[in-house]
Amino acid sequence: MAAPETSTAAVPTLYTNNTLRNAFGGVLSFFILLLIGVMAFSIRLFSVIKYESVIHEFDPYFNYRVTQFLAKNGIYEFWNWFDDRTWYPLGRVIGGTVYPGLTLTAGTIWWLLNSLNIPLSVETVCVFTAPIFSAFASWATYLLTKEVKGTGAGLTAAALLAMVPSYISRSVAGSYDNEAVAIFALIFTFYLYIKVCSWGGYTFIINLIPMHVLLCIVTGRFSSRLYIAYAPLVVLGTLLAALVPVVGFNAVMTSEHFASFLVFIIIHVVAFVYYIKGILSPKMFKVAVTLVVSVGLAVCCAVIAVLIALVASSPTKGWSGRSLSLLDPTYASKYIPIIASVSEHQPPTWPSYFMDINVLAFLVPAGIIACFLPLSDASSFVVLYIATSVYFSGVMVRLMLVLAPAACITSGIALSQAFDVFTGSIKFQLTGASSNTEVDAAETSSSTAESQTDAVKTEKPEETAKNRPSRKSKKKEREHGEKPSTKAKAEKKRLLALPLESSVISLLLLVLLGAFYVVHCVWAAAEAYSAPSIVLTSRSHDGLHVFDDFREAYAWLRHNTDVDDKVASWWDYGYQTTAMANRTVIVDNNTWNNTHIATVGTAMSSPERAAWEIFHSLDVKYVLVVFGGLVGYPSDDINKFLWMVRIGGGVFPHIKEPDYLRDGQYRIDSQATPTMLNCLMYKLSYYRFVETDGKGFDRVRQTEIGKKYFKLTHFEEAFTTHHWMVRIYKLKPPKNRIRGKTKKSKSKTSSTTSGPKRSGTKKKNPWQ
Amino acid sequence: MAISYIHLFILSFISTSRFLVISKAGAESELVAYLLTLQSQSESGVIHLNDRTVSKFITSTKTPRPYSLLIFFDAIPLHDKSDLRLPVLVHDFALVASSFIANHNGSNTKLFFCDLEFRESQSSFKLFDVNSLPNIYLVGPDAESLKDDTEQMEQSGFTRLIESLVEFIESRTQLTVGPIHHSPVISKKQMVLIIGFLLIWSPFAARKIFAGETMFHNPRIWLSGAIFVYFFSVSGAMHIIIRKMPMFLMDREDPNKLIFFYQGTGVQLGLEGFMVGFLYTIVGLLLAVVTHVLVYVKDLKTKRIGMLFSIFVSFWAVKQVIFLDNWKTRYAIHGFWPSRWN
Repeated sequence: MAAPETSTAAVPTLYTNNTLRNAFGGVLSFFILLLIGVMAFSIRLFSVIKYESVIHEFDPYFNYRVTQFLAKNGIYEFWNWFDDRTWYPLGRVIGGTVYPGLTLTAGTIWWLLNSLNIPLSVETVCVFTAPIFSAFASWATYLLTKEVKGTGAGLTAAALLAMVPSYISRSVAGSYDNEAVAIFALIFTFYLYIKVCSWGGYTFIINLIPMHVLLCIVTGRFSSRLYIAYAPLVVLGTLLAALVPVVGFNAVMTSEHFASFLVFIIIHVVAFVYYIKGILSPKMFKVAVTLVVSVGLAVCCAVIAVLIALVASSPTKGWSGRSLSLLDPTYASKYIPIIASVSEHQPPTWPSYFMDINVLAFLVPAGIIACFLPLSDASSFVVLYIATSVYFSGVMVRLMLVLAPAACITSGIALSQAFDVFTGSIKFQLTGASSNTEVDAAETSSSTAESQTDAVKTEKPEETAKNRPSRKSKKKEREHGEKPSTKAKAEKKRLLALPLESSVISLLLLVLLGAFYVVHCVWAAAEAYSAPSIVLTSRSHDGLHVFDDFREAYAWLRHNTDVDDKVASWWDYGYQTTAMANRTVIVDNNTWNNTHIATVGTAMSSPERAAWEIFHSLDVKYVLVVFGGLVGYPSDDINKFLWMVRIGGGVFPHIKEPDYLRDGQYRIDSQATPTMLNCLMYKLSYYRFVETDGKGFDRVRQTEIGKKYFKLTHFEEAFTTHHWMVRIYKLKPPKNRIRGKTKKSKSKTSSTTSGPKRSGTKKKNPWQ
Repeated sequence: MAISYIHLFILSFISTSRFLVISKAGAESELVAYLLTLQSQSESGVIHLNDRTVSKFITSTKTPRPYSLLIFFDAIPLHDKSDLRLPVLVHDFALVASSFIANHNGSNTKLFFCDLEFRESQSSFKLFDVNSLPNIYLVGPDAESLKDDTEQMEQSGFTRLIESLVEFIESRTQLTVGPIHHSPVISKKQMVLIIGFLLIWSPFAARKIFAGETMFHNPRIWLSGAIFVYFFSVSGAMHIIIRKMPMFLMDREDPNKLIFFYQGTGVQLGLEGFMVGFLYTIVGLLLAVVTHVLVYVKDLKTKRIGMLFSIFVSFWAVKQVIFLDNWKTRYAIHGFWPSRWN
């Protein structure tokens, strides 16, 4: 890229040299981008290396299952899919209640690979979808930033985004969820919008873009290009969004989309005004304006009054609770405890910013200022994006994800400009030291030499991305500056230079800052964000322990139970059970039916007999509980139990939370209440627990359990995993009722009925 | 004769007992009517009790009373103690009261919301055996002794008073409270004023916008606005507002010492956030000054001093933030070097 300086050469040579340099720069930035893509992909593979290629957590398992269905049955079946494996006996219409973007994308990738005869399993494709899209996202960042401040800034921003921790946290290999693809879509939509042709995104985008259009109109930047960019976006975007079943008529009914339509009207009015202005004489125009404004104001007032009345009559004023809590941050904490209680919806503290965007937090202000010098359409968009996203991230820690690309873009701009200035002044000072007549020749040699030394130390992609682009954008600057005479150029450069030694120090410090960022990002990717939470590890003095109990349990269910058996568990494990064990569950993580969840919660909080009756009425064959007391796994069912009681008690009032608390304290030791010690959850968790160590010491609660020796009357233990983390129980067949009814001929009836009964309970799968 | 005597006796007994019933019912309905008038006199529907009315409505009436009283214990001298949050609780209590009354269209005679003030009703506080605030007691229809038969709301409920109070009322009295009517953010009068102001102001604004000479056409305003929003967010100001965090804490062991920095990730103090937010912002600002302003300065000495100052301050700020972050979160961030380097 550092082609020789050309100012002394004749004009034709200058021209050819320039094209050569441009071509060389283009190829180089292509390879840098390729490396950035590889880095974005590979930094997310820590989870595969440290654990294995598995899908993470809970929701990704649902997405995986949907993708599997899509790959197997095709798009039309998928669109009409009614899932009877979940929410038994209600079922769930999946085709109409799922955002299909992610699954369609992964399904397409799988289909493409398969038609190219690359036989990858659906699971592998799903695991690596997020890293692939992170690479795409960094390329999209390059495109977007290039539109704003040139190639150098673009490459820097792409390199920063490739490893920003906030984005890594949602897109490590295996976390197959919407966010990973959504960020790519967000950045790419912004890019396309800035490139004056665009398609629809969702709420954040659909409000940010109208705001930008409005800003452009207010600051007098209206142009026909803006109109062409915006009007089709609204029409097509709304139509396309309405085609997705989940969105449907929401695309025109909810107030979240109101801004886009309002601006749609405004832009038409403004376009009309400009048109009229063009065909009328100035005087006529003034008359027309006064007329139209006076009539228009009256109409507007009436319409606004009607609108306010309409919106005010609906209880949430037309906005959904989550969006309202963004506008008035204290809204959620006051009125919606469900939203306020989720940890992802908390307002972040300052360390969260340092954890998630790290040193970018220092660079963003410089980037904002750079965007204002000078303010263009594209850079004003970036300013708007960073300001809104940083405000919203302050309200909800979850929206840090939306902030991350904006922070990368602005810091990319800042870093690239800083490098530009510092390297420029160093180079100028060095050449200034040599003789004046040979200024340009010396400049040439020094720049080539410098580029060579740079090329040597390209081990860190971060550095290359920062050093190279800076010179490239400088090159751009040069091109403009080359037209005036060499003397004027030298004069200008003298003004632009900074003292040598301080420039060198600043440069070194900036590189150091970048290095710190790299170290932090790698650490965050490796240590903080890579645990799949389905396979657990713990490091103790005698080495590494792996707890693979979840998959052990699900595999047991898959291989040892009938295809149509129903498994009851708390809703957290619903997605995993359907995806990994392929058994029907009662409730899952979709949580759309509170009563159903409350029924399971009530069963878990009831004594054995009542629980058995509830489960039996739901056709349940097996009950699965997660128990961490033996190995010290804290997010087990006993720790979630109070939520089961609360949710159950919310629908069935005979379950009362105080019955499970001793003096307001939740305990399972000998001080626990009898209701607690007799409820199903306690019994299923601690059945035979005393046999492990003789005392029954629970390592999570750090106490000995209250009731150690007891027998189960209505359930029998079917399977307990290696570390006791998952325990599966089978419901005993219903024989008590028969015994009670015909007490006299007990032995007779039991002996005669037991035969057909057995066969009845062990009914064969009709489809096998 | 004897029979007639007996008749007479029974008759008189019946009539007197009936009279008694009537008079009792009459006294009760009088009390209820009095309570209703007191309730209507109060703006929020919370009846202000004192020692005299406590004895009138509770201690000197016979059980079962036809009404329950929900009593909020208040002390005006303690209103300025921020950790008790008494004014907020008073407001929430009044809100539940007015919503309850509005939802029952004023026809409710079963439950009345009352408050007691410590300075004027000290003996009632003793009757209830209330030693700490805040406190809410429900006096049911059958409560004889104010110490033992009344029901106290749990202290944990005060953090989210409206929800837990509704729950408390509905579980203990079997009455439904219904939706809570939050008062609108802007009252009707303010609304009219604002609309009027906007109407008058809009022609002027429109003219200025068309002329292109508002402050919104000045990029400097936008620039400082954007920087301020950035500073505001990264300093965690939203956290301070939503969680109502104090600016600093008093050291419990040494009252003269103030605590500005809180160890632990989930919580931050006000000044702590603003300090770090300032450190975050200053580095970027200095970098921008160096790259966009200092470059164009002609005097070499100014350049050098400016550069050195920026380098020094930025280095210090970054170092400080890294140190504070490591101290606060206790994360040990380390690099992943090749194993033979160790």
